[in-house]
Amino acid sequence: MSKENKTIQAKTAELAQLVAWFDSEDFTLETALDKFKEAEALAETIEKDLTALKNDIQIVKQKFDSEA
Amino acid sequence: MEKPLFSVSDFIAVINQTLEYTYPAVEIEGEVASFKVNQAKYVFFDIKDTGGSLGCFMTVWQLRVPIEDGMKVIVSAVPKITQWGKFSLTIKSVRPSGEGALKKSFELLKAKLELEGLFAPDRKRALPSIPGHVAVISSTQAAGYADFIKIINDRWGGLRVDVAHVQVQGADAPDQIIRALTYFNSRDELPEVIVIIRGGGSADDLAAFNDEQLVRAIAASRVPTLVGVGHEVDESLADMAADVRAATPSNAAQLLVPDRGEIIRAVRYQVRSLLPRVESAVSQQSTIVSDMLIGALEATDGRIDQQLIQLAGVRNVLAQLNPQTVLARGYALIRGAQTVGAMIEVETNRSIIKAEVKNVQRK
Repeated sequence: MSKENKTIQAKTAELAQLVAWFDSEDFTLETALDKFKEAEALAETIEKDLTALKNDIQIVKQKFDSEA
Repeated sequence: MEKPLFSVSDFIAVINQTLEYTYPAVEIEGEVASFKVNQAKYVFFDIKDTGGSLGCFMTVWQLRVPIEDGMKVIVSAVPKITQWGKFSLTIKSVRPSGEGALKKSFELLKAKLELEGLFAPDRKRALPSIPGHVAVISSTQAAGYADFIKIINDRWGGLRVDVAHVQVQGADAPDQIIRALTYFNSRDELPEVIVIIRGGGSADDLAAFNDEQLVRAIAASRVPTLVGVGHEVDESLADMAADVRAATPSNAAQLLVPDRGEIIRAVRYQVRSLLPRVESAVSQQSTIVSDMLIGALEATDGRIDQQLIQLAGVRNVLAQLNPQTVLARGYALIRGAQTVGAMIEVETNRSIIKAEVKNVQRK
């Protein structure tokens, strides 16, 4: 798995954790706004990362028309 | 002119040389008869039509699709005279000919492999939800391949795609696909998924994907496989042996990678859904505070009311003790000495009366 995809997955997992915090018992109004801003920024990064990613398509040099 | 003189074996060799020169490889179409397998290694059958019959020989491993008597086939063969002088076709490959024979062969092999458990649901492995490295086996000139690449590029990014260019139809296709499968399965850095794709075609075009050895190679792949061959209605044994079956190459791309557009929408929705939660928490908190205030006020009011009630009771008692209240009930207050002839003052509710005491009797 590529490093970039891992990062997106990690960020998505982090966002899910942040969202879950709002429903958890740890929720406090004092930190809610900071957490919200954090989630908003993370979502923006994920969106940018996803849009910018390109696939790397390579044709294998090996020939398959006869036994190597 | 002198006629050449041969030994028997020389003549057989010359005939075989002539045959090999004239017909290095021939394809012959006919119906299978007297099919038999000896010692689980050697296959013998005749191929015939209404006008003739030819003996055929091949090894079991060369037989890539099941055949049986009565089936119409095309054999690719080298004609030969055996050392016993018998004309025979040494078969290189055999394939069913015509829709009926293809279907029959398909059903025979399907039943055989099904019995072996090659298509069993419990053999199926799940594909990674977001793969980072995949291998694709296809013809890079095929329309199905172009559709597949376009869709994965539209849907996702950051993916490493190694493509093995192979023939996807014809007699050489199964072996090429098997070699590509072996190649990807033996890499130091294994791909997470091997995708085999081919666009639509006739039953004959797609017959390569019903090759027994290819189907077995797909089932034996260390790396999970995703196969998308033909159109939605097409069914191949390669599909059935794959871990995941796609209806078409485009569908394979959809199954392989998530849609980044959908993820972006989901992420946006997640964040948007947070604000109402914060608002609701603020509103809940303010309700709690306001309820507490109301409670405190109500408690204070209660205390005051209680005090007022108590005060009213005391005032009532006091009022009963007021002499005026007694006078109002008709009693009178007498002031002065209680002796005969003395002047006394009698106070009623309404008047004060001066009177003389006429008689005093003790009770």
